[in-house]
Amino acid sequence: MRAKKKAASSQQPAVSSQESRVKSQEPIVWNKDKKSVTIYGNVNGTRTPSRILEEQIQQAVRDGARQLYIIADGQHGIGGRIWPRGEAVKITVEGPVGQRLGSMGMFGTEIIIKNSVSDDVGWLNCGAKITVLGDVTNGAFNAAAQGILYVQGSGGARCDTMTKHNPRFDPPQSWYFRDVGDSFAEFKAGGIAVVCGVNPRNPKNILGYRPCVGMVGGTIYFRGPIHGYSEKDVKLLDLTPQDWEWLKTNMRPFLEAIDRMSYYEELTCSSDDWKKLIAYTPQEKRERKWFKMSASDFRTNVWEKEVGWGGIFAEYLDHELTLLPYITAGKDRRNKPVWANEKYAPPCAYACPTHIPSHKRASLIRQGKINEALELVLQYSPLPATVCGQICPNLCMQSCTRGQVDRPLNIDKLGSLSLDMPAPKRAGQTGHTIAVIGGGPAGLSAAWQLALKGHSVDLYEASDKLGGKIELCIPRERLPHEILEKEISRFKELGVNLHLNTKVSKELFAGIYKNNEVVILACGAHQPRKIEFPGSEDIISAYDFLKDINLGERPDLKGKKVVVIGAGNVGMDVASEAFNYGAESVIAIDIQKPAAFGKEMEIAKAKGVEILWPKFAERYDKKQNKIYFKDGTSLDADLVVISIGDVPILDFLPPGIHTEKGWIVVNEIAQTSDVKVFAIGDATGLGLVTHAIGQGRIAAETIHYQLMHAPRQPEFKQAIPYERIKTEYYDVCRGDFASPEKEADRCMSCATCRDCKMCEATCYWGAISRVEHEDGSYEYVVDDEKCIGCGFCAGICPCGVWEMVENI
Amino acid sequence: MEPDAGIRLDNNHQLSLREFPYIIRWRDDRCKRCGSCTAVCPVKAIVPTVKVQRLVQSEGPVPTPAAVRRTVHVVEQVTDMERYCTGCGACTLVCPNEAIEPEFNPQNKFLHYKNKGGEGYKRGGRRNDPSISTLDRLKFTRISMLTDPALDAGRHEFRVRSLLGRILPPEDLPLKMINGKLVIDKDSGKFIPPVREIFPIMIGSMSIGALSPPMWEGLAMGVAYLNEVEGLPVVMCSGEGGMPPRLLRSKYLKYFIIQIASGYFGWDEIIHALPHMVEDPAAIEIKYGQGAKPGDGGLLMAQKVLKLIAKIRGVPQFVDLASPPTHQTKYSIEEAVAKMIQSMSMAFGFRVPVYPKISGTKTARAVLNNLARNPYAAALSIDGEDGGTGAAYNVSMDKMGHPIASNIRDCYLDLVKQGKQNELPLIAAGGISKKGNLAANAAALIMLGASAVSIGKYIMQATADCFGDEYNRCNLCNTGKCPRGITTQDPKLYRRLDPDKVAERLVEVFKAADVELRKIFAPMGRSTELPIGMSDGLSIDDKAMAERLEISYAC
Repeated sequence: MRAKKKAASSQQPAVSSQESRVKSQEPIVWNKDKKSVTIYGNVNGTRTPSRILEEQIQQAVRDGARQLYIIADGQHGIGGRIWPRGEAVKITVEGPVGQRLGSMGMFGTEIIIKNSVSDDVGWLNCGAKITVLGDVTNGAFNAAAQGILYVQGSGGARCDTMTKHNPRFDPPQSWYFRDVGDSFAEFKAGGIAVVCGVNPRNPKNILGYRPCVGMVGGTIYFRGPIHGYSEKDVKLLDLTPQDWEWLKTNMRPFLEAIDRMSYYEELTCSSDDWKKLIAYTPQEKRERKWFKMSASDFRTNVWEKEVGWGGIFAEYLDHELTLLPYITAGKDRRNKPVWANEKYAPPCAYACPTHIPSHKRASLIRQGKINEALELVLQYSPLPATVCGQICPNLCMQSCTRGQVDRPLNIDKLGSLSLDMPAPKRAGQTGHTIAVIGGGPAGLSAAWQLALKGHSVDLYEASDKLGGKIELCIPRERLPHEILEKEISRFKELGVNLHLNTKVSKELFAGIYKNNEVVILACGAHQPRKIEFPGSEDIISAYDFLKDINLGERPDLKGKKVVVIGAGNVGMDVASEAFNYGAESVIAIDIQKPAAFGKEMEIAKAKGVEILWPKFAERYDKKQNKIYFKDGTSLDADLVVISIGDVPILDFLPPGIHTEKGWIVVNEIAQTSDVKVFAIGDATGLGLVTHAIGQGRIAAETIHYQLMHAPRQPEFKQAIPYERIKTEYYDVCRGDFASPEKEADRCMSCATCRDCKMCEATCYWGAISRVEHEDGSYEYVVDDEKCIGCGFCAGICPCGVWEMVENI
Repeated sequence: MEPDAGIRLDNNHQLSLREFPYIIRWRDDRCKRCGSCTAVCPVKAIVPTVKVQRLVQSEGPVPTPAAVRRTVHVVEQVTDMERYCTGCGACTLVCPNEAIEPEFNPQNKFLHYKNKGGEGYKRGGRRNDPSISTLDRLKFTRISMLTDPALDAGRHEFRVRSLLGRILPPEDLPLKMINGKLVIDKDSGKFIPPVREIFPIMIGSMSIGALSPPMWEGLAMGVAYLNEVEGLPVVMCSGEGGMPPRLLRSKYLKYFIIQIASGYFGWDEIIHALPHMVEDPAAIEIKYGQGAKPGDGGLLMAQKVLKLIAKIRGVPQFVDLASPPTHQTKYSIEEAVAKMIQSMSMAFGFRVPVYPKISGTKTARAVLNNLARNPYAAALSIDGEDGGTGAAYNVSMDKMGHPIASNIRDCYLDLVKQGKQNELPLIAAGGISKKGNLAANAAALIMLGASAVSIGKYIMQATADCFGDEYNRCNLCNTGKCPRGITTQDPKLYRRLDPDKVAERLVEVFKAADVELRKIFAPMGRSTELPIGMSDGLSIDDKAMAERLEISYAC
């Protein structure tokens, strides 16, 4: 019953009628040649299970069958897995087949199916040639690695997915005469697919919806319209001559196999009818732009077209619409350095009430200008040897930055060096007249300054000597008299009109006030304060005690017990002098912690003074030589000296000059309530000699500005903070004052450039340079276009001169 | 008290570096003293200075002392708490020689000291809690392979979209048949709430002012790009700082949610712009609270209020701008909700969804309950404790607020009980992507019940390289010294930031999040609808948490 014709006409059906299949009595019918066999998938109406049919096919091949005719009845996987035996095994299938026809088919197997097939035909094909004379449904050729699939009709969904090309073999080929369904060639990794597009089921799209997703290899030739493909995976190209040659060559056996040779001309008339899809290479994918449009193109061509040039904020921004780096120079720096030379006062000059610039003296000495250095101080004080050198507690030295390294600069000794200097030259006469009342340190200072500036000064002094309390009250052992005398005589060189032994009365004051443009009250405090208690009339004041000694009196205190009420510095001077004149003991008492400090205290203590506090004196019994205190205790006291300060004698002042509690009231520039009258020194409140000198100078400066119609007040600089001085540069010096030069080297030149060029050296960007001017002065300047505002100059400047400010 | 005369104090009351949160590691041998680090340090925590080194040696066969002294220029960290190193690492960034780097000091006693002048420590950033958040512990454990149709995120087309706005149930929709077609009956007089289809990750409210011009514009541009070029409907909330008129009048307004908060800044300008608007905004957000700092208001310091801010906010320059913690004219939740939602709906002709944002709180359900009954309420946004802010008291940031996970879950389950889970969208925020897991955190919150999530500080990190982290790194947002130029109004700083780069990064972030959301939803078998409330797909490795969130426990 089986057609026994050979393969030459194998296209013709092996079984002529439906009936014969269904009604077969025998499952396997061998031909006489023992080469061909017919296997029935349905025997007597009973369907052969897929497993049995598979066994029958495999057995038949083992038994020598090389032509198999399978009359299928929906069996799974028909025709696959026939091991190559050196000769071809040809399987012709007919009837309804199950899924995966020819799956895992191998080289040497040729399958022809005479009608449409179910899903996954040619699944995991390993070399079989499969010809379907009908449609293939979903998943045709899925995972095929070798072999050929010819399809006379259309493909279903997901055909040619996951196909690959093993380099050991030729790539798999799949040919579809009509079209294919959706998701074609997903994850295709190799192989050639050809879709001819003849009479497609979907005339608008022969490759279905979204073909080639995840495709990484292989080629798809197609002919006809398509509607998109996975653009991120594959590219659409024209055929090359080589493509065209291959297609034309291989088209012929395909069309022959599916019995459609009549289409050959139509399909090969022009390569322009065809396109191909190939996968992007990994390299191409890596190089692919991630963005459909760059952000900057979007900004220019889309965003700003809609919102306006410069973007949504441009109308409110007043800077350039450009980017800045993190490290910027010029106007874009966040901070910038300023060479703030002398902007601040060094601690020494700041602490000195006279603001004597010791750092500048040191600088001049370092430059070898010793005379200029020693004269410099005379511009600030008429009494440097007396005050700085002898009696001053040297507030400058107490605050000297150098003290943090080893010991303060010996400013006192440098002061003493000016002793032999002549008076500086006066400036030309201004014609202004000023009266100074009082020839103590305050008055001397003011008169000195004003005279130096060229003003005409009249100085009134009640006693016969200049110097005030320095002359009268400071023990000579603390201040050798010849030093004072020498400096007073230098003062006199300056040409101040002196009126000694001239006590100023109300009347005289009125005259002085009238005849001078400015009056300076420097009358001091020469009225000792006393406390009233029983026996206080038997007590003498420190003022009188010390003054009498300085005027030549020699009190006999031999073996006497002395009590000093008030343990301040004057009390210490009293104690020292008492010892000098033979006192057996001196006890200083105070109601609070003693205020004495410095040399006065040291000297008195060395001599044996005893200090007791708190002690409130109750009465003094001169007969018993005993002083009693409120706490019930008492002390033997042959002499009691009270040293609780002095107050000024101001009986000559007119009411227009306001006083409070006995002191003249002044503002910070030493002006009284009468703008023409200034007051300085102890008359305004007790202080150190250096305070008196400082006030004298500041008052003189102010007055000078006023007289010269200069519209400003003297400048008071802030002190530079210690941390800005880099003490690390200085090594500890052993030993004491050796020479002015060595001492000057020790000066750290706080807040004042010492021209060391450290900033120039440290600036990585080369932004700092030293510029010398014609007059010999110099400055360090910053090239803003180089400077990044890092702060190295400010951070490392030995003198704290450079400072960083906001760059606005 | 003073020291004795002549005695100078040295280290008394000086803090040691060990108290500081970050210690600068500076390498003498690598440094070339170019000053880049000191020039760039935003807080001047490092300074150039001088150190002396002294080597005493003896080289001879007998004691031959010789002292060698060297004074060198160095970079040093200051021990001033007001200039503490924030660890931002700008120095490391600019150093050409890898010579400097801040190192976190876990022993620091920073908070012991950060109260100068009796003022509590204020900062920007986020909650300083580096532990793993609940969101990061949630796992997606229901993987469809053979049980449900397997989906492939790469192969299948997804529309990851959510709806912003109240969705009427079908039976409430006024529908009628005309010529066999179902159409909306516009004559019914019934209010149909406006609804927007959006990408479920939104950009949360960061104001113009809190952000620098290039940062805000970069984000805005990125959002426009995503919508216009990529077709991804991402929306961004303005924050409370107004909107530039150029944007208000542009067609891109539709991608922006305009926020109104207790300071009402910029709103008169927005109202003036109404006649010129060619598009409606995406929505209006009424801010009642912020997750990062519940109960703490905002203050834009006067030094930030320059021309730009002043113009946009409609205020004079150089004044402090306070957004109080509460709205002044709201006395009850009912009143607050009714009054504000109605007013804002009215402003835009009831065409724009209007919803409130509150900080995460135990009382969120009460608010939700109220909103559920308000026909104009478009959503509820809940901002959890892990959110970020430009400025707040440290205590508010670290200790105030409610974690978002259980808060959003409770609210969602309340809606479920009322059968309204598909009607009133919940927006979750606060701590999303704390560790960079943007899509995973968003998906987890969606599956707990959120319709969308809102992100803020992550965006600053991901798009503008914000230095901040949960170890209090940088967090200078409140000072105007942001070294990245993100939260400053100083052009010298913000001109470091390229708005095009911000936009580009934003596009990358959202495209990647879109891909990752698909990677999560596809294996779970969801591709067309967001799995809102699909909590059977979630598990957590902590029993108590599982119980609290009513999800499964898996270990």
